[in-house]
Amino acid sequence: MTSTTMSIPRIFDRPKSTSGIWSWLGTVDHKRIGTLYGITAFLWFLVGGIEALMIRAQLARADSDLISPETFNQLFTMHGTTMVFLVVMPMSAAFFNWLIPLQIGARDVAFPRMNALSFWLFLFGGLLINVGWFTGDSPNGGWFGYAPNSGITFNSGSGMTFWAIGLSILGVASIAAGLNFIVTIFNMRAPGMTLFKMPVFTWMTLITSVLLVLAIPVIGVALIQIGTDRLYGTNFYNSINGGDPVLWQHMFWLFGHPEVYILILPAMGIVSEVLPTFSRKPLFGYPFIVFSGIGIAFLGWFVWAHHMFTVGLGPAATSAFAISTMAIAIPTGIKILNWMATMVRGSIKINTPMLFSISFIAMFTIGGLSGVMHAAAPSDAQQQDTYFVVAHFHYVLFGGALMAIFSGIYYWWPKMTGYMLNDKQGLVVWFLMLLGFNLQFAPMHWLGLDGMPRRIFTYSSEQGWEGLNALASTGGLILAIGILTFLFNVWYSKRNKVMAGNDPWDARTLEWSIPSPPPHYNFEQIPEVEYRDDFWYQKYPELLEHEDGHVPAPAGAQDDDEAAHDEHGGHGIHLPDMSYYPIMAAAGVAIGMGGLMAGYWVIVVGGILGMWGIIGWSLEPVNDPEPDVEH
Amino acid sequence: MLSNLLPRLPRRKLLLFLVPAAAAFIAGCSTGNPQDTFDTAGPVADDQAALFKFIFWIALVVFVIVEFGIIWITLKYRRRSDSDPMPVQTHGNTKLELTWTFIPTLIIIAIAIPTVISIWDLSDPPAGESVMTIEAVGHQWWFEFKYPEEEIVTANELRVPVGQNVVVKLSSQDVIHSFWVPKLFGKVDMIPIRENELWFRADEPGEFFGQCAEFCGIAHALMRFRVIAEPVEDYNAWVAGMRKPPVAVSGGAANGQTLFAANCSSCHSIDSYQAGAFDREEALQDGRWQGWLADIEDARIVSAPNLTHFGTRLTFAAGIRDLDRATLIDWIDDPSSIKPGTRMQEHAAVYQTSDGTANLRDSEIADIADYLLALVPGDADIAPTATPANGGGGGDPVAFGQATFAANCSACHNTTSATLVGPGLAGIADRAGSQVPGLSADDYIRQSINEPTAFVVDGFGPVMPGFPQFGDDEVDGLIAYLKTLN
Repeated sequence: MTSTTMSIPRIFDRPKSTSGIWSWLGTVDHKRIGTLYGITAFLWFLVGGIEALMIRAQLARADSDLISPETFNQLFTMHGTTMVFLVVMPMSAAFFNWLIPLQIGARDVAFPRMNALSFWLFLFGGLLINVGWFTGDSPNGGWFGYAPNSGITFNSGSGMTFWAIGLSILGVASIAAGLNFIVTIFNMRAPGMTLFKMPVFTWMTLITSVLLVLAIPVIGVALIQIGTDRLYGTNFYNSINGGDPVLWQHMFWLFGHPEVYILILPAMGIVSEVLPTFSRKPLFGYPFIVFSGIGIAFLGWFVWAHHMFTVGLGPAATSAFAISTMAIAIPTGIKILNWMATMVRGSIKINTPMLFSISFIAMFTIGGLSGVMHAAAPSDAQQQDTYFVVAHFHYVLFGGALMAIFSGIYYWWPKMTGYMLNDKQGLVVWFLMLLGFNLQFAPMHWLGLDGMPRRIFTYSSEQGWEGLNALASTGGLILAIGILTFLFNVWYSKRNKVMAGNDPWDARTLEWSIPSPPPHYNFEQIPEVEYRDDFWYQKYPELLEHEDGHVPAPAGAQDDDEAAHDEHGGHGIHLPDMSYYPIMAAAGVAIGMGGLMAGYWVIVVGGILGMWGIIGWSLEPVNDPEPDVEH
Repeated sequence: MLSNLLPRLPRRKLLLFLVPAAAAFIAGCSTGNPQDTFDTAGPVADDQAALFKFIFWIALVVFVIVEFGIIWITLKYRRRSDSDPMPVQTHGNTKLELTWTFIPTLIIIAIAIPTVISIWDLSDPPAGESVMTIEAVGHQWWFEFKYPEEEIVTANELRVPVGQNVVVKLSSQDVIHSFWVPKLFGKVDMIPIRENELWFRADEPGEFFGQCAEFCGIAHALMRFRVIAEPVEDYNAWVAGMRKPPVAVSGGAANGQTLFAANCSSCHSIDSYQAGAFDREEALQDGRWQGWLADIEDARIVSAPNLTHFGTRLTFAAGIRDLDRATLIDWIDDPSSIKPGTRMQEHAAVYQTSDGTANLRDSEIADIADYLLALVPGDADIAPTATPANGGGGGDPVAFGQATFAANCSACHNTTSATLVGPGLAGIADRAGSQVPGLSADDYIRQSINEPTAFVVDGFGPVMPGFPQFGDDEVDGLIAYLKTLN
């Protein structure tokens, strides 16, 4: 077996560097890939934030002509596309990559090279969507790309084609990542870690991955259709030739609503780790939190048409989707109450990660309540496409998902880097972000109820919306200062390192049992798991006495194990070797797809590069045999 | 510690503070602004606001419990020192879980029942009451309103009688728009290739702001309209006026009339008071649309708002400006300075100048504005047929034909070879005889006027309307005139 694969001639040597740029380009280490996801997503977060600030600058005054309507349309299209696909999703992916192997006691994900492929596809797809900022022709049909306004008849620029192409590539990245984490979580858990002993973050990752694998193909099909409509004159959604623009909406939201849970479930996972750690209590109602997560993901497939209550579905369909949408409030409510119960009678440490998680509950609740208001279709007829909806989903996606992501950043930073983020500065970041966020988005509830539609580049003073818009823009400024303070916090903490040690938070899950940052092989010895929160009970075996049906592990058992493995020192652990082929295949896909816009010879170049990457990959063994083994 | 800085409010005082705060929230919602969804003026918006408020009060209770619960829990159970004892390790409580599954379910049922009742209630106008039907068509970026029973076509201002149930049939010519008047009804989308419907009733007179609510391109923000609800007698007077020809103009306005005919009339109809004009306008708008679609870059024609009795309007440019002479002059000179993206400036021949402003002198623009403002119903009771000013067939047939052409045909047909909606007619005499085997040139032209759909030239749609008001004199005159075109 090995001898046949070794006979394939190689043009480049397999990458071996452990530092410098080449070590990143060829990496298949889940931790490095997680870092790449995190840094890239954060940079996109800054881009999306600048887009948001420009939108707020334009809307701060009535009849403003600071930004042209065309640019404004590009800004809100790219703000939405960026924040959903290039920020919240890859931020979650960063946590998945970093934490899943660590939480389940594994040394890497199931398909390390495919994991690298996911990242590079995400990077190149994101760049393709943003090509327009350099050609002056950015996507301008909204992140939802409603046909026929996004079609070639009404939108003749190249922006929306790049949008469709770039998003298709991101979709491939997401499906690959989803499959990878499903297989990893099912197959690579440490011995003894049954599904119901997994950390809740791992559970939410599993559910999210299933959603990714099922939902992304729906939008993938639709994006290819709208792409061929634009490029080759097909008529899937082109109403002028009889295509059905409402079908696009069904396709988009059949993906789009599960997508909402793809964005929020990982955040719920983060919060479910942070709250127990800083309350020093187990998560209250673990099975209920897990099953309500599954319930949300399942129900999420039956609610898409609540985005379309104004399309004219008829009263029967409208009633059905109103009821199914309201039903989602029940599992969501269960989660919120269980999180609160986790804190009750706890010993709550008030610090930055905990405050962000608590803010998640508080803000997400507001977004959930306004969500129920939208579910009431007659009431929604007034709110649909107004700033009330903008307020609603920012409370869910910023107040919810991003607050949790910031909580996760402060919580796991010491594990990832080895040093703490300064907590006093963190409190300032938290305060500015929470204040700025609420000043920016709370007034939008009133604006929406006062009849201000979304996606308008201007309004007249007689419409009476100037005061609240100015307030919202001020909030945006404070929020931006909060983000800058976070950057300062990172810079300062890196300059004045306070080392974290293995377990700075007295936490509960396996990742805290190993050094910070973890060695490249993660676990010297794959741990054996006996309990949910096994690491916690290793530290506090006496707590098990109060548990029903649990027998405390014999004291000293772990010490013996550790002594035995120290000799090991991580040597002789086989990890997947680095590979250039994932980035080559990803570049081939991106160049080939970009060639649809640039010219056919570019497709040929991309095709050759992509095929080279894929064939080279398939012939390359995961591990090169170590020389000393061979000789 | 941060938590020590937070004030501790006694619980009773908290309640005293909360109730007025909630009342202020609802009161604060009603701003009296023109698109306020709480300041309702009809049964549809009333019901929608009532449902919102019902859910709001329930949501407020949940909000207070959760938000103050979180703050209270955080403060009460905060770690005061790192030597605080380890809390009891509770894993859950099935009774509690069942309770807080059951109670939210009851709350959701309590919200779902009135929601579903309201969905069905609002789906049709009250049974047994009289209903009036209006058609609304969305265009990039203006609204066309048609009254099929009264045969009225107008744009951007919808007049309805107070207290009358109105069904609006919604469609779109181009992209998806959404039809919304917050004080009267929630929005329903206007979608190409499918027809939607909504109903509403204005219970009090007034001028109600409407706005497109679905992103529809560059001028989406500037696609607004008004609903003008007026007492039934005022409404009837308006309807009667819309069936009358406009007052005669003289002086500058008369010059404006000529300039309008030359520069604006291909796209803007002003004569929909005439008998038969209702159907013709539909065909014309479709023809203009097809003309634009056929050559999106360089079309010299686009579908455009009907300007019949424009002088009676309160606003213009899709509801974004009050109608006054100075603004109208600015608009005619440089429309996109008021409404960026407007198709008129992009396509109309008169704007094909180096700086994009109208190729007209200031005095000419003022004349056009004066003419448009003078488009108000005159005293004549019956709309006359489109007889040109220089009388019947007694005089020179070519001159009579030319006048007939200018009044009836020039909106769609150019006298050069350029295509507007229909083909350019230069050289028609040479080719008319060979279009249809067995028809002479005269007979071919006669058939084309009398039965426009009998033979349609390749590359054009069957959109030309009939002209039942023409007698033999008009047709003979047109034939004589057309044969002179080279």
